[in-house]
Amino acid sequence: MAIADLLHQISANPVYRRRAVHTRAAGPELPRYGILEASPHEAIAAYLSGYGIRLYTHQCDAINACGRGSNIIITTPTASGKTLAFNIPVLSRLAADNNSRALYIYPTKALANDQLATLERLAGYTGIDAKPAIYDGDTPQSKRAAIREHARIVLTNPYELHQVLPWHVKWQFFLSGLSFVVIDEAHRYRGVFGSHVSFLIRRLLRLCRHYGSDPQIVLSSATLANPAEFSYNLTGRTFEHIADDGSPRGRKHTILFNPFYDGIAERSTLNETKDLLLSCVKSDLQTLCFTGSRKMTELVALWAREDAKRTSERLAATIASYRAGYLPEERRLLERQLKEGRMKGLVATNALELGIDVGSLDAVIIAGYPGTMMSTRQQAGRAGRNGRESVAILVAKQDPLDQFFMNHPDEFFSRPSEHIIVDSENPYIVSGHILCAAAELPLRPEADSEFFGESFTAMTGDLVAAGLLRETRRGIVYTGRGRATDAVRLDGLSAESFRVVCSGNLLETMDRAQAYREAHDGAIMLHQGVTYIVTEMDLASHTIRVAETDVDYYTQPMKEIDLSIIDTTEKKTINGAECAFGDVEVTERYTCYKIKRKDTVLGVEPLDLPPLTFRTKAFWFVLPTAAEQRTVSAGLDLAGGLHGAEHAIIAMMPLFVLCDRWDIGGLSVPAYGDAGEPTVFVYDGYEGGIGLAEKAFGLLPDLFSASRSLVRDCRCDAGCPSCIYSPKCGNDNVPLDKEATITILDSLAGKEEEKLPLQEGGRAWPIAAIRPD
Amino acid sequence: MAAVPASSRIGEAWQQRIGALREYEVVRDGNVFGTNLFRSCLYASEQTEAQRMLAALLERYRNRPFEEVFSGTVEENEAGNSFSLRSRHPIAQARIDPEEYFTGVWRDLTLVHGIGKATERRLKARGYATIRDLARHPRFRPAAGRVIRKLEEPTSAGIMELIGSRHQRSHPMVLGAAGFHEPEDFVFVDIETLGLFSRPVILIGVGTVEGRHLAISQYLLRSVDEEPAALFAALSHLSDDRSALVTYNGKAFDLPYLQERLAYYGLGVVSGIPHFDCLHFARGMWRNRYPSLRLSALERELFGIVRKDDVPGQMVPEFYDTYLRTGNCGPLVPIVTHNRQDVLSLAMVFFRLIGETYGNC
Repeated sequence: MAIADLLHQISANPVYRRRAVHTRAAGPELPRYGILEASPHEAIAAYLSGYGIRLYTHQCDAINACGRGSNIIITTPTASGKTLAFNIPVLSRLAADNNSRALYIYPTKALANDQLATLERLAGYTGIDAKPAIYDGDTPQSKRAAIREHARIVLTNPYELHQVLPWHVKWQFFLSGLSFVVIDEAHRYRGVFGSHVSFLIRRLLRLCRHYGSDPQIVLSSATLANPAEFSYNLTGRTFEHIADDGSPRGRKHTILFNPFYDGIAERSTLNETKDLLLSCVKSDLQTLCFTGSRKMTELVALWAREDAKRTSERLAATIASYRAGYLPEERRLLERQLKEGRMKGLVATNALELGIDVGSLDAVIIAGYPGTMMSTRQQAGRAGRNGRESVAILVAKQDPLDQFFMNHPDEFFSRPSEHIIVDSENPYIVSGHILCAAAELPLRPEADSEFFGESFTAMTGDLVAAGLLRETRRGIVYTGRGRATDAVRLDGLSAESFRVVCSGNLLETMDRAQAYREAHDGAIMLHQGVTYIVTEMDLASHTIRVAETDVDYYTQPMKEIDLSIIDTTEKKTINGAECAFGDVEVTERYTCYKIKRKDTVLGVEPLDLPPLTFRTKAFWFVLPTAAEQRTVSAGLDLAGGLHGAEHAIIAMMPLFVLCDRWDIGGLSVPAYGDAGEPTVFVYDGYEGGIGLAEKAFGLLPDLFSASRSLVRDCRCDAGCPSCIYSPKCGNDNVPLDKEATITILDSLAGKEEEKLPLQEGGRAWPIAAIRPD
Repeated sequence: MAAVPASSRIGEAWQQRIGALREYEVVRDGNVFGTNLFRSCLYASEQTEAQRMLAALLERYRNRPFEEVFSGTVEENEAGNSFSLRSRHPIAQARIDPEEYFTGVWRDLTLVHGIGKATERRLKARGYATIRDLARHPRFRPAAGRVIRKLEEPTSAGIMELIGSRHQRSHPMVLGAAGFHEPEDFVFVDIETLGLFSRPVILIGVGTVEGRHLAISQYLLRSVDEEPAALFAALSHLSDDRSALVTYNGKAFDLPYLQERLAYYGLGVVSGIPHFDCLHFARGMWRNRYPSLRLSALERELFGIVRKDDVPGQMVPEFYDTYLRTGNCGPLVPIVTHNRQDVLSLAMVFFRLIGETYGNC
């Protein structure tokens, strides 16, 4: 048994043994089958018996609930058969009612492509006339009309839906028969993006009402802490929660693997990951390896192939990388090879975390904690399909956050999944979608306020005053000159795209920030394990020219971040700290790059790139002199304290402004500006701002005291993921000083006189709730 | 916890963001490649000129009341009040002799499904001169029968569909279906809008033939709330059973736009009306003769019409938006003139197309 080989190797090999700091096995779990309340459509029944499928408890629960007309949210783990659980009721409905239609929304095009094949197979076998089709940015103009008219299951993504809704007249027929809206991978819709999607869904439901349909909604999501709240916020409807997982599990071994076990780390996380991948592949385990970045993905794959070549070329050919940026054909080919078992080791960015059905895998390696328990479980869940024994390995980075889990395995295994926060009241987002909705159908306050919440009337009044809406006898109509859907962007991402070209052939595309990071002049770029050197970066024509090369080094650019205050809108003093809200400009400069071979730096070359600038809204505060002195005179690290305070405030913000931690950025500077004052900035991660810092600024006293309680009441010694460690820190959580952080937060919260004893269990805030990441 | 109230910053923020959106690209003068790249573009000099004109108009029409600048009539219909401007223009007309046209149609064997050019030649050589003769043909009899039934009870929409399905939409025989109509049946329509899609129509120009004249009614929105009434009034011109719609690029733009606006207000749909889109026929006939087939370029080539103080079509939204924001009706003046000329040129081009195709001016 191959798993046993690997486990034996890990426990016998002294290098592995010392690093495998914790191993835990779970399962196996036997299947539990459920009972359907109504017998399924005969075509479906034939399909199930044809494939010898018996439905598990959660699948039956889902089908029964759909049959009763309920909306459902399914949160069972990866590979538990969620897709079948909602495809059966949808197809049964289509079979029973000829006018019935369904809309499936996926977060990415790739995922829709994959699911199309599944639906086609199911429709083909059962003979149910579903005509599933994808309608997205890649759908040719010539096919669109036919899809709108004939397809009874349309698969799309939120970006396309946003563009499609204004054309609802053309979708009249489809929308009037819509009986199911399926939202797969719903946990992706969190924070600001989630708020946008929640209003997109409300706009869709409003149009359905106009055309006389009232679809049931199916949400399929990773396991999360607040399914009822999340599903309600995302859609405005109530749901039945399907969670009783009856699918069987093979025995699963989870290994915490720490390259830094001795505090020295002879070799990097990357190198160790590569070795583990090779050991897995050599033990004949089909292995998926997740890394945190595109470059790590390419490097691990490249090094693993090089090492494998020493044993055999054939072995090397079974290892590949898979990441965003690859052309669709390349991705399709890799997915197929993996499913067919020809590919043994695939190194991926988290693009693959999104439930692409790659069939059974034996092992998963996660290089670096991915930031949330939700992601960790999704990725680890990829191992052990079909009830077989499997292994999942988390390889730690040097980051204190990763190290914390290595040193506290119980925290790791018992940690609950995160809360997913979706704000359905962010005024910037609500108002944008009110404009879009008004352009789709005239707004009628009495009927439409249910979709847009309590602020609807105030908001429309504001927009009428700005000349963007106008009240008429037929409702409130949109009168803006530009297209509303163009002004409202679902993701604040720039549409700029750089083309990477090798002797005239398009290799891949990337956005500007990525191009600066990975494709500057002289950069070594990896694509599918082939090494290229950038010969020219033409900023004007957005073209990067590369040539194939054969070097054994790689490059790593160094970045400087600068923040300047453009305009101060509002000022106030809180507990002696000068606080302000206004416009800032964040500037990133790539000044030079390092040339490295494996983990050794060979040289440093200068770079001449224009800075990347980003304007947004921020709040910031200057630490009072007294607090600064208190920190310094106690021999504490001021920089580590400011940094810790910044992290704690950002950790608490989602609870106050209902966003995701990844929506916010921060910067702490021990000596900012001419006056050299210790300053902390917290800003919206969206060009132009999206109201997060603005709302937090109004709540600063509460935010400060909550952040103080968070850190003060945390039972750790020197910081941990529950207080000051950030899963998205650009400086790998260095420096951090917990005591200095407490001193600073005491001052901000106006509590420096109190010397409270730390109380056991006396947490003022529900810790699990405030850790979205 | 308290939420920050929706502040007035929001209206302002959207105003800025939406005001900055443009649905056309400005290209450097002389950059002919640029004009091909973008769907809709404007030379920098045209834009500057138009902006200068806008400033001058605002100055000239400051404090001049709407009624003084535009003398039109207000009519009430079931969708509200509409404001219209009327004018009459002499126009040369051309007619098609239906009999001559029909002779040609009957002789086109390729209208029968399954018959291409080569087969037609072989069939004609063997004595099948018209579609009627094919009723005797062993293989093509059923398909020919279907065509014969359509041709024996002809309607212009039916003929256009039949010919359009076997030939290109720009085929002269499709245009020939106009021969089923009296000049009074044609309704020439051109619209001005606040954008390329999903925003209000601000002006609908409708032309109909009255004797030797083209009578133009322009339904102008004094404010956006008059849109449903303007749509309703304009479409009442199409309510006759014999009406036929004539447009320039209306299949791609004007008609779907009107359909969308009607649906937006729940005012029903226009359907089944024969529609002659002159852009298609102009392409078929003049593509190789004139460098540009934009209506304003074509009218210069064909009729020597040179527009003065014209607002570029792409900038109509900005002009109208300025009127909405300032209440100064100066920016409307060139929009109305522009639209009136569009309707008139459209009718002239239509009759010229018929004259050139069927040689009967």
